[in-house]
Amino acid sequence: MKRSFPADTRVGEHCGLEKVAVPHGSALTALVLFAILHGCGGNDLQPEMSAVPAPDFSGHWEVDYARSDSVQNQLNSTFREVQREIRRRNDAAEKGASYHGPALGNVDTLFALAKMAELVVEPALLHIDQDARWIRIERENSFALVCSLEAAQNEANRLGREICWWDGQQWNFIIQLPDGLNVAHRFTRSGDGNSVAQRTRLSDPGTGHDFVVTRIFGRYDPAQRGYSCTETLSRGRVCTTENIETE
Amino acid sequence: MSMVPVLRTLILKFCLSLCWICLSACAAAPTPSVEGEGGDETAVTPSAPLAALEPLQRAEGPLWPALDINVAVFEVGSEAAETAAYMAVRTLESRLLPGLLREVLVRSDQWGVVRVVPTASALAPVNIESMIVVSDGRDLIIDVRVSDVTGEEWFRLRLAYRQDEPLDDLSALSQIFNVVSNRMGEFWLERTATERSRLISTAGMVYARELAPDVFTDYLDEASPVLTLKRVPASDDPMLARVQRIKNQEYLFCDAMDEQLGLLLERAGPTYDLWREAAITQANWLDQYELMAASRSSGPEDGEFSRMQAEYSAYRSYRIQEQALLELAEALESESQPVVLTMEDAVITLEGTLEAQYATWRELLREIFLLEQGALL
Repeated sequence: MKRSFPADTRVGEHCGLEKVAVPHGSALTALVLFAILHGCGGNDLQPEMSAVPAPDFSGHWEVDYARSDSVQNQLNSTFREVQREIRRRNDAAEKGASYHGPALGNVDTLFALAKMAELVVEPALLHIDQDARWIRIERENSFALVCSLEAAQNEANRLGREICWWDGQQWNFIIQLPDGLNVAHRFTRSGDGNSVAQRTRLSDPGTGHDFVVTRIFGRYDPAQRGYSCTETLSRGRVCTTENIETE
Repeated sequence: MSMVPVLRTLILKFCLSLCWICLSACAAAPTPSVEGEGGDETAVTPSAPLAALEPLQRAEGPLWPALDINVAVFEVGSEAAETAAYMAVRTLESRLLPGLLREVLVRSDQWGVVRVVPTASALAPVNIESMIVVSDGRDLIIDVRVSDVTGEEWFRLRLAYRQDEPLDDLSALSQIFNVVSNRMGEFWLERTATERSRLISTAGMVYARELAPDVFTDYLDEASPVLTLKRVPASDDPMLARVQRIKNQEYLFCDAMDEQLGLLLERAGPTYDLWREAAITQANWLDQYELMAASRSSGPEDGEFSRMQAEYSAYRSYRIQEQALLELAEALESESQPVVLTMEDAVITLEGTLEAQYATWRELLREIFLLEQGALL
């Protein structure tokens, strides 16, 4: 699976060690790593808000499993790529040639990323509110992704950092966690306005391979489902079968 | 094994240690008091001495003569690094915490009427002005300044409190204000009965002067560093009676506002508790995580998924809580209910921010006073 995000969204790769030759065992290692980490702190990323107006993403959306990636399939695909990479390395070694392919990284980390992908893309329902100033993507059983329509945001909190912007074609949301886990969501709306694609890229410094999962969402009418659910602070998720009106 | 997580952990650890050193230097509670220093003219400065937790001193009854106290709505410290969500929480706290301070003062049985007011004023002889310096759910630092209407500063304190375990309600938090009441009691008792009565009379004159400067300025001496009372009008002075009537109308506003703050505490208190609980849990988790991360760096790297899951889950939980509280805080902010007051058959509705409503009300009272004065002259 090849990476296909636009360059400005590939934050994980900016922090990827495979791009930098680190002289092992030297005192310089720490300095180089520090410089890399310093650059990976999130403050260096300065996404620009596109002047192209964003289409209206508002509405209720539910995942269309038929058109979405399966995490298991993606994992299989990634491992096939890893195996191919190993073969290329072995071939090069046998021929005594130097090889400059991407770093393989830790396979355990790749497994962990795949399991994390299941957790991160778990929300099957989205409720998107968009007005002249904000877009708010409410995700079932998770926190909302919120971004201003006026300017890109890069905001740190106690447990991580969130960056978001509209690049003219899609909404980008990046969550950077302190230990290096990077979750990048990219939302694109279809031309007819009936589908939203959520492409999620997980990366971690421990592996040279990012993990990408795409979920396709179709519109649905919550009034036709026969029940509605809301998240409450005191009782968690509360569902009712009473008639509800669409907002 | 990649060194990035290890180095990140070390850097995080270093930064957290620095923060911890800074925090413990000025914020850890209970912390012994540090002898203080004077202050400048600003309402509250971060250089106030640090106060330790102590039990509340209660009196048999109000110290005579009973001293009324204004507790001004807390100022919200500006910190560039704060997120919008934290600022919303701070705004909420700026209205919740004065209520806790007021409760402590009332519970001490040492004082007259204690009111929460939008801003410090001459409505009562003594004003308590406070600023929230740090509030992240676990650590709370507040600068307090107590002064009277003559301009004399009683004292400044820095209150620091750390809550390590989540609690059911805000009552435990109110104990940080015990020291304010105790210190005020000590200060008040050091004064003679004459000095106490004089301060209360001076406060009355300062209030009257704000309404009618032409009439009441001569009663006060501004030559000394603090205002002093030169003389007092006769007790049956009709002008003074009108001032008292206007003052009562201002009390009416404060009582209406007080009622709203009570409702705010009732409505937002449980959610604020939830936020604090989550913040404490997360802060404690951060500490534990730091220890775990440090130990992991020297052992086999066998818990990649656990590490990522813990980190992401904590972040998700943190953001859910933060967003829920932010929504509530924004709703409370935007509600800013108008205060409706009835005054001599006229119904007056005040709108806008609390401070704006208070300013409008005071201006209205002043106009009424001037109209009445004009009619009589």
